[in-house]
Amino acid sequence: MITQEDIEKYIQKIPPAPKAVQQTLKEIKEGDLLKAAKAAKEDLAFSAYLKELVNKPIYGFRTEVKDTGQIFGILGLSQSQQVVYNYLLNTLSPKKWSFFALNKRNFNDLQDHLSLSWSKILKYLEIKDKEIESSITLLPASIIVCEALFNEKKEEVDLIRSAKNLDLNTILKRLSGYTLFDISVMIAQKWEMDPKIIAIVKASSGIERVENKEIEKLAKWMHLLLFFILSQPQYIEAGLNDFIEFQIDFVSDIYEDFMEIMEIGENE
Amino acid sequence: MRAVVKNGIGVFHPQGFLDGNSVASLISVDDIEATLKLKVDMVLVSLKRVIFFNRNGLDQFVKMFMKLRQEKHMIIGFCDYDDRKYQAIKKFYAKEMNFSLFKTLTIAELFSNHFNNHNKTVLVWSDDKSQRAAMAIELHDRGHNPIVAQNLNDFQEKSENKELYDVVIENSYLGSMGEQIAARVTSNAVIYTVSEFLDTDIATQFNIEYHNNSLNVGFRLFIFDAYKVVSMNVHAVNFFAKLASSGAEYNATICFVGLSFDKIPERFKEEMEDSGILFYDAMDDVLGNKELLHELGAASAVAKKNQRMINKKIVSHLPQFIDAIVTTLEMMTNAKAIKEEVKIEKIILTQKENNLLASSIGFYDDMDGIVILVFPKNIAKKACELLIGEEVNDEELILDSLAELVNIVGGKLKTLLSDIKVNISITLPRTYDNMDDVLEVIGEKKGVQVDLKFDNDHFTFFLTR
Repeated sequence: MITQEDIEKYIQKIPPAPKAVQQTLKEIKEGDLLKAAKAAKEDLAFSAYLKELVNKPIYGFRTEVKDTGQIFGILGLSQSQQVVYNYLLNTLSPKKWSFFALNKRNFNDLQDHLSLSWSKILKYLEIKDKEIESSITLLPASIIVCEALFNEKKEEVDLIRSAKNLDLNTILKRLSGYTLFDISVMIAQKWEMDPKIIAIVKASSGIERVENKEIEKLAKWMHLLLFFILSQPQYIEAGLNDFIEFQIDFVSDIYEDFMEIMEIGENE
Repeated sequence: MRAVVKNGIGVFHPQGFLDGNSVASLISVDDIEATLKLKVDMVLVSLKRVIFFNRNGLDQFVKMFMKLRQEKHMIIGFCDYDDRKYQAIKKFYAKEMNFSLFKTLTIAELFSNHFNNHNKTVLVWSDDKSQRAAMAIELHDRGHNPIVAQNLNDFQEKSENKELYDVVIENSYLGSMGEQIAARVTSNAVIYTVSEFLDTDIATQFNIEYHNNSLNVGFRLFIFDAYKVVSMNVHAVNFFAKLASSGAEYNATICFVGLSFDKIPERFKEEMEDSGILFYDAMDDVLGNKELLHELGAASAVAKKNQRMINKKIVSHLPQFIDAIVTTLEMMTNAKAIKEEVKIEKIILTQKENNLLASSIGFYDDMDGIVILVFPKNIAKKACELLIGEEVNDEELILDSLAELVNIVGGKLKTLLSDIKVNISITLPRTYDNMDDVLEVIGEKKGVQVDLKFDNDHFTFFLTR
């Protein structure tokens, strides 16, 4: 159904990050938002994306923000980096989704929901680290990979899943030896993302043991956040709720704190 | 979201956070309709991967449960939960719990009517005396050996010797049980337990799918355990007479054990006897008498009066059968299949029989027959790796996965045939670790034998009626 060869071909096809985006990231890393904005303006699609993004109601700005420099200024270093990574991931997402019932808009909404909730969590955990804040942006890569690899295999997947409750990550691992997270990591490496980002997202699958306690802790929060977001009706309807397996034991020790942050009442 | 069906039980596996909105999106009207069409006697929602739920979330499932129960008399409920979730559900539905709670799927399976799941020694504990009794009765009716703990101390003492029990039941609750008739298998006979007054409802309570499957896979003796039957009306008599006549094609025998005729008119008995139904006083009169068992057909599956042969209709759809099997196996093994030979004859197994495993599935409606897949053990292992997740040598586990695999083949076949307007229903799968059992089911019948090659391994499937 899906072989190692298919995956290698898929990875080969992934384009490198556009030059303007690479330059923007470089300037953000060096802490110069003005130069970052200048670099971003060089790529029209990228600057249009930035404008559309920050003017969404979810970002809560009262007046329309038009200038790229202004956008980066409002967002600050960490969020600017997140937004750039989100854009990169967007360049990889398909024009037309067929395996998942998604479209460009609700995929972007998913990215926004994840990013904003992740910021809330990091604030609670009192973590201020640009790379950790950006790590959430790589998480939806697993969804894009899934769409790319399984989009013509829906019937087969449905058949297998009619007999056994297997998630797509498990099916892929058993067929090819790679998990969706392994492939996301390959994409991140191709885009030269920070190793910390890669480590957190890889660990957030909840199925691999992690030595580094800080990475493990963040991975747990990320795993639970993903399932919290994927339990929302629009993502359930998109078929995302069970694309990977929820590792309930992995997150049990942070459950109470998570409920508090997300302001969810106990079972009642 | 669709239920995954195994061993006659359909299970939904939601994940994450369940509230009213999320469950409404999880279970659509189409999903409920599809569940109603399932050939299962139990539908459960697994809470294994649910970290949060509230009453509104569960209510959506309970609404579906009630529909399933009302229309299909299924056993319905939740399974796979911990103590925290169990207490929460009990609190939500304190006085109105019409569904069941099974701590694990294994516990739930004890209450289903599946071939492989009988004769288990089960330790039963509930702090509710009536629940303990209800569980013991239901388990007994399904051929298990329940041992009931009388109080918490007794349960704790008994459960220290876990090795004495196949399953320990606690934190479980039997709601309204399915009204389907319990079935179990012993000494090659299928035993159905019936009770109280039998009337027209018998037609909906009796799992005809299971019965047909039993006939298709070679069972010839069907016993109705009727000790608890008070009486029956003419509708029930007609039902049993029809059942006996339809089984005659397979040379099947139907008998009643322990039926008291105090309140049943004599003419009903005569009518049933005319249809070939036999009556015995005690179960031991049948099961303890080897000669009688042999005579009644329980010892052999081959003694059919009317050998049904492969027909043109099935042969004309051979491409769909081959397609369903080849694509499924290619998908499961990630290897290319090469068709070697197709022939119509009695099944010929060219490889060493002790190196083979098999699984079969019956189909009926627009056409009927049976597909038998014969695997060398190494292909069986390879084909099941996707389902099991690793290379295994546990034959029981491989056989279990072969049943899932043949189920996938059945599903694919159903889709391919429906594309050309041929409708079939599929029976439950059966597996074989012994080729003598396969040959016994097929008997002397001719069929279409297709030999395939995967890498360097040979695989055979046989299509017959």
